[in-house]
Order: sequence, then C-alpha cells, then structure tokens
Amino acid sequence: MKIEDLARRLRARVVSAVELAQESLRRIHAEQPHLNAFITITDELALTQARQADEDFAKGIDRGPLQGIPYALKDLFRTRGVRTTGGTKIYADHVPDYDCAVYEKLRAAGAVLMGKTGLHELAYGVTSNNPHYGAVRNPHDPSRIPGGSSGGSGAAVAAGMVSFAMGSDTGGSIRIPAAYCGCVGFKPTYGVVSRYGTMPLGGSLDHMGPMTQTARDSALVMRAIGGFDLRDGSSVVGALNWESGRDSLKGLRVGVPENFYGARVCPEVADAFSQALKRAEAAGAGLIPVRAPDPEAINVIGRIILMSEASALMERYEDRRADFGADVLALLDQGRLLAAADYINAQRLRTKMRGEWDAVWSQADVIFTPTAPILAPLIGQTEVEWQANNKETEGEDVRLATTRFVRAINVLGLPAVSIPLKKSGLPAGLQIIGRGFDDARVLAVAGLMEG
Amino acid sequence: MTDWKALAAARCPDIPSDAVERIVPSLEKLEAAFRPLAAQLTEDVEAAVVFTNVAGGER
Repeated sequence: MKIEDLARRLRARVVSAVELAQESLRRIHAEQPHLNAFITITDELALTQARQADEDFAKGIDRGPLQGIPYALKDLFRTRGVRTTGGTKIYADHVPDYDCAVYEKLRAAGAVLMGKTGLHELAYGVTSNNPHYGAVRNPHDPSRIPGGSSGGSGAAVAAGMVSFAMGSDTGGSIRIPAAYCGCVGFKPTYGVVSRYGTMPLGGSLDHMGPMTQTARDSALVMRAIGGFDLRDGSSVVGALNWESGRDSLKGLRVGVPENFYGARVCPEVADAFSQALKRAEAAGAGLIPVRAPDPEAINVIGRIILMSEASALMERYEDRRADFGADVLALLDQGRLLAAADYINAQRLRTKMRGEWDAVWSQADVIFTPTAPILAPLIGQTEVEWQANNKETEGEDVRLATTRFVRAINVLGLPAVSIPLKKSGLPAGLQIIGRGFDDARVLAVAGLMEG
Repeated sequence: MTDWKALAAARCPDIPSDAVERIVPSLEKLEAAFRPLAAQLTEDVEAAVVFTNVAGGER
C-alpha cells in the first residue's frame, strides 16, 4: 500500500504500526520462497521499531509521514548489529558497528525496517542473479530477472511486501529494477543523499535513492533522507526545495531525443513510450525534439570510470578470486588492466560532456526516454537479438542493452526517475531526466504522468 | 592498441590466461570506442574527480 494512504490510516488509528509490520512480515515470508527478495529478514527488529512508532503516536509524537511505515534496505546500507553482505561472499559475516546515514535518518523518521534486500553481487551488475545468495526473481514472471542491481528492493516493492525500499544506482541500478518490476525508482542528483556508510562500488557514480509505488511516495522518502552530510565528501551543502509548485503539465517543455533513444527498442517498449508522449501532450506539455549529446560516448566514459573505481576498491581482495562470481570477477579483472591515464581522461571527458548537456536545458525542462529498451530478460539470458538493416540479426549483451539508456545519467549526476509505462503484461519504464538539483520538478512531473 | 594479454601477464600475473582470453574482446571494444574520445580532449579540460579538503569520510 502507498505511504500516503498508510500514513493517513495510522493517524486515524484505523491500523497500528505493529499490525502493518505483522502484515508486511507475513507477505515477505510468504513470497520469499518464490522471489528471494531478501537476504536478511529482521522480524524482531521490525516489531520493536513498530512498537516504538505506536508508542510515539500514543504520546502525540509525530515524526512525519514515514512513522510506522514498513520498508527495506538494499543489503549494502550498513546497519549496526544487522549483517550487511553487499551480496558478496567476501562480506558474508560483516556485521557493522555503525549505521549508514540513510538508516540514521529513516530511524529518526520512525520508519520500520523489515529487512535487507538481495542484489547483484557488490551491486556490480543488472541481473540480481546472485551466485552466493540465489537469484532474485521478478514478481511479474519468476522466470525473469527483476533487474539490478537493486533487484530485491524492486521485487519487494512491486510485490507489496513493503511500502518502500532503498536502492543504490551506479549505472541504472535503481531505475532498471523499477522498470522491470513495475514500480517507481528515483535517482537523485549526485550529492543530495549521503553515501556515508553504504558499501561503495564506483564512488563518483554511486547514488542512493528510493523505490516506491508512486512518485509522490518517492518525494516523501526524499524529504526524509536528503540533506548535507559532512561525512560524505560529495554531499552538497544546502537543502533542496521539495515544493515544485507544479500541479499540471501545461506549458512543460518535454525534451524528446531525436537520436540514440529510438534505436534498438523492442516494439512493446516503443509503443508504450509513444503512448506516454501522447498523454503528456494531451495534458498540455510541449514535446520538443532535442539532440542528446552523445549518450553512447558517455556510456563508454562511464564504464571506464566504474571499472577503474570498482577494481581499485576491491584490490585488497584480489587474492580471493574463488570467492567472487564469474561475471563480477571478469569486470574486476578488466578494471585492473586499465591505465590511470584512461581513468583521468574519462573523468576529463565527463567534465566536457556535462558542459554539452547544460545546453540541452535551455530547450527543455525535462527529458523523456524509455528506461530500458527491452522488457525483463529471462534468468540466465545473456544476449538480446536485434534485427539489423541487412535483415540479419545481431546480438547485444543483455547487460549493455539494459544499461544503454540509464548509465549516462550517472556520469552526468542528473536526477532521473523511472515510472511504470504500461499497465498490462511485463512492465516497462518511462525515464524522466531533469537538470541538476531539479529533483522536485522531476518527481512532480512523474506524479502528474502517473495520473 | 594495447596488447592486453602481454599487459595482463606483466601487471596481473595472478589472472589466469583463460580468464584473460575471455575479457580481451571486451577490453578491445572499449578501447576502440574510448581512444577517439580521449583524442578530442584539450588541455584546459579538468578531470571531474572530487577532492574535498574537509575532515570526515568513511570510518
């Protein structure tokens, strides 16, 4: 159920936080054998936090809309006393002695932690097919991946186990599972949510954000978790204004890229995207053709930055090759072979591309694209087949296809949300991208597109 | 272009040769896409690496 609705019911004493936690735990335990969305379920802690929320309500203490709301954390958000694995065997026994900033804030807001969700190993991949903790499965079709790396969070929200879950997004890892599972996933502007106490993958690309049932719910979570944190060197000083002031799409300039985002898109996604554009136009938005400055190049830049940063971080474990899954190990090996000059030049190209993207915002307020060009692949599927011009088919690595439309936005550090694009069949996502620190507008537009 | 096999043998001898064989095609494609981009850079473009001169950070 939506956060907004539950918050109302809690305050009307129609339901208690303990009852919500019990119902959430019932659903989690019922679905866990089928979906494997969780690595750790925190039954006892959940009921303790729920009782505290009820006691606070009884005393007239109201900590805001998240008080008493069941949620989950991707298992790379450190939680004191609760195992935090990062989805890897390397950290299988890691029990942190401190909390990450996001968990600190959610505890202060009175939210109730139900457990830690499954993910792609080290958050370094998009399938959530984890060799150590098992494959997370898509609630719409358990033979398919939920996307990743925040696959457990996406599955838990989409299956109604929790009202919201936290994910991390280094190359699309919040937006992809949101698209494949049919929920909302928001990646804020880089620096808006503290990364303190989360397990890093690519520090200059890592973003923390919520996965929810609605865009309005994402905004509620963002109000609780955003803000400056001295402990995170990339944290941005100053609070964002979460009031966008927008209650309709009238006059909104929606940039629709003429290049890149229309090629190699499966018909179901292309059709649903086209319908979304028509809905936006009918609601008063202006559709502005724009040229997106070379997302393909930015994807290349992003892969070099990510592989370099991830391999540097994991270098201390290079004598434990047998403890990594094959796909992650192959990426870590590649990163070890890249030159320092390539990393620096990739970061210089990042500066250049960010400047080129700044010009786009003089033409458009937001940009619409599909989140992923395909629907959720089958578990174990490695390639997508596309019809080439010469009528022969050409294969594309599932990982590259899945991240093709989202990775560049991490390199640019821009806010972006994925919302469900269609109501039947396998889900697909609409990606709404905004200029830096225009997070409130992105979520407001997403809410208006939800209808 | 880089001789990835020779580089791996010299710099990361712990990576088994069959593992190197598997990653070389990916590295070759990445390098082929990246070199022309890097060649466009002019000396005035600074890297986007963040250095913050404050106390704190990861425990």
